[in-house]
Amino acid sequence: MRTFLATLFVAISGTLILWISTDGGRAFTAEEARRLEIRENPRSVPDWQLQNQDAETFTFQNWHGHLIVVDFIYTSCPSVCLILSGNLKNLQKDFSDEGKSDKLRFLSITFDPEKDTPQRLKEHLSHFSADFKNWVAARPTSPSQKEAILDFFKVIVIPDEYGGYTHSAGYHIINPDGKLVAIFGMEQMDELRAYLNQALEGKDNASEN
Amino acid sequence: MRLKIKPEWLLLAAFIILTLPPMQRFLEQSMVTHMLVQLPALTVIGWIFGRTLPESWSNKIAPWNRWGITGMALAIVIMTYWMLPRALDAAVSEWYVELGKFITVPAMGIALGVSWPQLNPIAQGVLKLEFWATFMRLGWLYLDLPDRLCANYLLSDQRVLGQLLLLIGSAWAIAWTLRVMFGTKIINT
Repeated sequence: MRTFLATLFVAISGTLILWISTDGGRAFTAEEARRLEIRENPRSVPDWQLQNQDAETFTFQNWHGHLIVVDFIYTSCPSVCLILSGNLKNLQKDFSDEGKSDKLRFLSITFDPEKDTPQRLKEHLSHFSADFKNWVAARPTSPSQKEAILDFFKVIVIPDEYGGYTHSAGYHIINPDGKLVAIFGMEQMDELRAYLNQALEGKDNASEN
Repeated sequence: MRLKIKPEWLLLAAFIILTLPPMQRFLEQSMVTHMLVQLPALTVIGWIFGRTLPESWSNKIAPWNRWGITGMALAIVIMTYWMLPRALDAAVSEWYVELGKFITVPAMGIALGVSWPQLNPIAQGVLKLEFWATFMRLGWLYLDLPDRLCANYLLSDQRVLGQLLLLIGSAWAIAWTLRVMFGTKIINT
């Protein structure tokens, strides 16, 4: 009897722990967890200082009222960032064709600020024939700011075996009120597009919350 | 008397070495050593400790753990938890999860060490087979997945781990086959 009770207790509390620690069976990986967390608890983005491709400093505050798509890159990246930025290029083109681009901004933040000078960031944007008005590449202005930014977005960067980096790849959406509200993976381009369309159209009534 | 104390001190020393920050970092920089060296080592330490528990303790536990069932349930819960990719990631980035790992994994070992010998042979066989199947399944999964499961580890790391899991699983299967067919006893399990 005591064994039965003890086993029952272990089984129930164990299931409960596993249920809670996977957010109810919805997030098994850290990447899924950070996407889910942001969806459920949007967070205000702190006002960091960044330096753009023209070596000018700016803050997120300057972009208040815009919908911002943020991705993380390093310019010597041979693979993932190219796809990330390539997708942004397509997005930029599509949205400017539809005449919706004035309320939309793209921001590529480098996590390799020592190597990625404004000059190199500019070259990176040029590769993707970016419209500099809407698409900015920027670097954090200090190592501590870089850490704070990566920490806030829960972006994990690890060195790879070729002297580069492997990193969490995705598109981070900041709403016009300056809150991080959603994260999309590279495989979710259709969802991202639909989300942006909806957010841009519903902008007038979205600002009330 | 002195000889009796010695193995426990060795266990404690092994545990302390594993908890040293440089050792932690060394074993956790790769998914392979994290999952195939650190976690098994912590489990084995717990297991041996569980086998050498003083009799008075064992007697107290026994009525709550007949046929080793409660202990196995506990071990399975802990094992399942540490198979979650996000748990492994969290252990690398958050100190309190890491602390939890260094407590729960040896605890799982203790539960196994205490309960496994009491377990019904059929239940042992089923669990062994299930454990082996987990090796093969995860090995296959890690080789096949195009994406990383852990944000802290490289895809190449995940692939190597997949290969090793399949290799270990296969070796295990061969050892079993030899035992069934020829009675050759290479390993105990």
